[in-house]
Amino acid sequence: MKRNNIFIIPAAICSLLLLILTACEQENVQKLEQRNWQLVWSDDFNGSAGLLPDAAKWKFDIGVGPNNDGWGNAELQYYTNRTSNVALDGNGNLVITAKKETYAGSAFTSARINTSGKFEQAYGRIEARIKTPWGPGIWPALWMLGSDVKSVGWPECGEIDIMELRGQKPNIINGTVHGPGYSGGASITKSFAFENDRFDVDFHLFAVEWGVDYVDFFVDNTLYQRITPEKLKGEWVFDHPFFIILNVAVGGNYLGFPTSQTPFPQSMYIDYVKVYQEAGE
Amino acid sequence: MKERKYIYSATVLIALLLVAAGCERNVDELEPATYPVTPEVFIDGFSSGLYYSAYGTSKVTAFSVDNEVKYKGTSSMKFEVPDADDPNGSYVGGVFGTNPGRDLSGYNVLTFWAKASQPATLNEVGFGNDMGESKYQVTLSNVALNSNWMKFYVPFPDPSVLKQERGMFFYGASPKDGKGYTFWIDEVQFEKLGTIAHPTAGIFNGQEVVKDKAESGETFPIADLYASFNLPTGIDQKVGLSKSYFTFTSSNPSVATVNDSAVSRVVSSGSAVITAKVGNISASGSLKINSIGQPVGPAEPARTPTVDSKNVISLYSNAYTNVPVDTWNTHWQYSTAENQFIKIQQNDVIRYRNLNFVGIEFSSQPVNAGSMTYFHMDIWTPDVTTSKVFKIMLVDFGANGVYGGNDDSSHEYSVTSPELSTQKWISLDIPLSRFTGLTGKSHLGQMVLSGDLPNVYVDNVYFYNFGTTPTAAAPVPTTSAANVISVFSDAYTNATGTDFNPNWGQATLVTQVPVAGNNTLKLAGLNYQGIQLGSNLNVSGMGFLHLDVWSATSTLLNIFLISPGPVEKPYSIPVPTAGWTSMDIPLSAFSPVDLANVFQFKFDGNGDIFMDNIYFYRTGGAPLTEPDAAAPAPTASQANVISVFSDAYTNISGTDMNPNWGQSTVVSQVPIAGNNTLKYTGLNYQGIQLGSNQNVSGMGYLHLDIWSANSTSLNVSVISPGPAEKAYKITVPTTGWTSLNIPLSSFSGVDLTNVMQLKFDGNGNIWIDNIYFYKSQSGGAYSLSNPIDFESSGFGAGWTWNVFENAAGPALEFVANPDKTGANTSATVARFKVLATGQPWAGCEVKHGAMGTFKLDASNCIVRIMVYKTVKSDVGIKFAKSDGWSMGEIKVANTVINAWQELTFNFTAQVQDGYDQIVIFPDFNARTSDNVVYFDNITFGK
Repeated sequence: MKRNNIFIIPAAICSLLLLILTACEQENVQKLEQRNWQLVWSDDFNGSAGLLPDAAKWKFDIGVGPNNDGWGNAELQYYTNRTSNVALDGNGNLVITAKKETYAGSAFTSARINTSGKFEQAYGRIEARIKTPWGPGIWPALWMLGSDVKSVGWPECGEIDIMELRGQKPNIINGTVHGPGYSGGASITKSFAFENDRFDVDFHLFAVEWGVDYVDFFVDNTLYQRITPEKLKGEWVFDHPFFIILNVAVGGNYLGFPTSQTPFPQSMYIDYVKVYQEAGE
Repeated sequence: MKERKYIYSATVLIALLLVAAGCERNVDELEPATYPVTPEVFIDGFSSGLYYSAYGTSKVTAFSVDNEVKYKGTSSMKFEVPDADDPNGSYVGGVFGTNPGRDLSGYNVLTFWAKASQPATLNEVGFGNDMGESKYQVTLSNVALNSNWMKFYVPFPDPSVLKQERGMFFYGASPKDGKGYTFWIDEVQFEKLGTIAHPTAGIFNGQEVVKDKAESGETFPIADLYASFNLPTGIDQKVGLSKSYFTFTSSNPSVATVNDSAVSRVVSSGSAVITAKVGNISASGSLKINSIGQPVGPAEPARTPTVDSKNVISLYSNAYTNVPVDTWNTHWQYSTAENQFIKIQQNDVIRYRNLNFVGIEFSSQPVNAGSMTYFHMDIWTPDVTTSKVFKIMLVDFGANGVYGGNDDSSHEYSVTSPELSTQKWISLDIPLSRFTGLTGKSHLGQMVLSGDLPNVYVDNVYFYNFGTTPTAAAPVPTTSAANVISVFSDAYTNATGTDFNPNWGQATLVTQVPVAGNNTLKLAGLNYQGIQLGSNLNVSGMGFLHLDVWSATSTLLNIFLISPGPVEKPYSIPVPTAGWTSMDIPLSAFSPVDLANVFQFKFDGNGDIFMDNIYFYRTGGAPLTEPDAAAPAPTASQANVISVFSDAYTNISGTDMNPNWGQSTVVSQVPIAGNNTLKYTGLNYQGIQLGSNQNVSGMGYLHLDIWSANSTSLNVSVISPGPAEKAYKITVPTTGWTSLNIPLSSFSGVDLTNVMQLKFDGNGNIWIDNIYFYKSQSGGAYSLSNPIDFESSGFGAGWTWNVFENAAGPALEFVANPDKTGANTSATVARFKVLATGQPWAGCEVKHGAMGTFKLDASNCIVRIMVYKTVKSDVGIKFAKSDGWSMGEIKVANTVINAWQELTFNFTAQVQDGYDQIVIFPDFNARTSDNVVYFDNITFGK
């Protein structure tokens, strides 16, 4: 999610064209290693409608980023902790809503929450069941950052993007890792596309399984990308605790700006976030 | 594209491939027909069975198959849009169809690729146009093309209905800036795409449309039907839908219905909301109808004009041949007026509503009313006319006959109450001379109606004069000859020796002419004219001078009465007259003329004058001090009567007509014209002790006939044990016998099942007859308390009222009128405080029986109530019977706040007998605050 370099656009499109893996190509049986995942942390987002997410688990990122640069990506929204932007829906979901409204000098509002300082973990399975928003310039994401970002900076801290979606392509998501030497447009990424479905019609399960020397990316338990140290053009930094981030950005270098035809408001529905560790670790 | 017409004769058949005939089948084994599910429309050629028809007025040769330019495969469809001035057609458009049709229920979108020789916008593309009913048409409008191939989507909802669709594709395009261009379409096919998502639908483009003041019989089409889908590109796209995709629902079909043809029809008063669904998608947008039900209008036509047609220039009347009128509603800017031409009993009437002002023009053939003296118009309004004005402006276009040119003139004439009156035909006969600003009247071209009455029915609009000679005789006098001293009349013996043409040097030509056989005095070319009496008259015992005057041409006329001296005094007579005008001039108007010694009359002024019935008279002789005739004979049948005192009925036996209650009244029974009559001389008070206590609760009225020449105060009381008594005020003195029918509800607090006494109190000498209780002939004990005005002497305040469904709200109160201005200046009104916590239907009702039992019929079923509210909301009224049955309430909303407003409720549909309770919902609304509603003056009429 953090991309300092606007030259990523051609590279991103390139990877998209080459690496699309579609759901209907799943006829080959995947043979995955057996793992014994033990649930260590979760949020089912059960609670009354209108409540903010559990403060014991989540904190808010507020505003337009520490450098007033749209969180490093020229995003257009102002993140708030208002229930109109982020709240439980009373049906067991957390809803993050991007709105077209002038607020604190920005033309849009939305929300971004994270577990920094509240829950951080190295390795394991991190998954979330999500129904995405849609529309040009709408950029929902489930991702992780190395918890040492404040001391070592980005991209040295490492970033794992479990799910990112460009609202103008509501049937395609990307899974990506960033680190030193392979960040921004040079990140390691792969798309997963539905040929005849979209991610905004029903909930889908997005997950990574992360071990000492691999990060596997899944959609609905289908593995579509495995990243290992050999695939990187730089150092493997996925060896220390990361925290989890959920957000809906509006506009930005990654996908371009919303247009007059982008429907607003747009909401991302998160049924749950669960984190597992492999038994015995 | 507006010009487009579907003319099928020009169909161009490009491809027509017959589907192979089927094998012979056993008819008994036939299953319901199914149709091909072929998705392709045009890939590299037409799909099987496809034909093409160009719109008849389009350039029919515009379409061809292009083997050079294509998105994919070997060919595409090419369309050459002509220049706007192309004689062979100025646009392109047509339909690709198939017969008998295809089953498209397995698809959800029509897709195609398109490009154009230059950026351009196609007016529309879509499918479902079969050049017939086009039942399930889907239209994508304003399709923007450029010179790159792009994919387009025409998504559709509820594919399940598309079992036999014949219209596979249609398009229409116009020149861009008048110039032609070329576009290509390829790969036209139906698809089932999971990447089309989030369907929505709407009517009225998603807006909530409100129609206030809708009326029964009005229809409203449900328009602007659409569906919207999110495309694979993340953007929403709207498509227009035909009505057959929708099911429409009315929230209240008894108020407004809606049919499958997407037309809502208003059927009664109230509110209804029309909504729609496409499949199981609820459409956004709605139509809210706030209906007043049947508009209140005249039941009878205006009086048929009687003016001779040769003296009339008529603009609008069934009685005359009308001159051409360009329009009865010019729809000028800011005018909200709507007009309808309606019939009332075969009589044509113009109805205006929402009238603020309306222009009426007859300028293409201006009216020459130069010889006319009067303007006539009949108007009828349902609106309250108190303090209201209705204005008529006439505009003359001057010598040039057209608007402008510094020769126009106009005048606006205002009509106010009491000349204005509600729910009555009012005949306006306005002398054109009153249109003082109208300096010309020979090129009249415009009329403007305006004022405060939003609802006006208009009939019989014409200019007229009375000719130059009266055609009818002056009215025959009715004053008794004993009270008359006549100078000139066929009806009386005239004073003798009168010279009607003494030579005083005048230029006036005096003749006596017969008018309809009646001798009439004519003064032609009046300057002045005397009348010399044969002998001096003493008219000091007379009160008035009467004369009948007719003049079409005079603009000035005075009459003088003269006594020797000479002492004379003029009196102005309004001229010209509207036919015969009867003048009754008090002789005091001629002071200081010596009325004991009148010897001459004089007239001065101008024009031609006709006069008749010139006489002095007095009103009556000495007033009667006792009745000279018997009281009217009662007409109620004995079966419906409990009689106390009457020769016409069997009376309650044992009644004491003069119990000793210490009164000073002298009671006697005297025969008047053979009829036994009760006489009270020097009344202070007087009782009647009934022979036995009477249950009169089944009766409706107490009847009395009263005669008094000198009483100034009279009450009658009905008394039950306790004693419980209630007085009813009788208007005295009377003019001859006065028959009173007093609703027994007037005697609130009295136990009507156990009446033991009657009592009169007041003063003077009173004659009384026919004292009886009765009910109506139709069997019910009907007594309608009308009006319910809450005054101390009226109905309502003395009754027991119950408040319901108003949480812990207070009882109904009767308080001083908070705003004695506007429509209601009465002293006392009802106050209902309705709480926010009360139900929407919180209200109040009269205790059963307190207002008597009554019948609603054609004469009283229009119920009106005045309300003073701080909010606009419905007022509901209904009536109930003693057994608890009630009708459904009728609701009418007030439209003004913080002012009195009269609301009208039409209970025509509920005319029946046996009601004994009124129920009022003063604020029928889900309110958010406590509201105070005042109401008053509930009337029953027609």
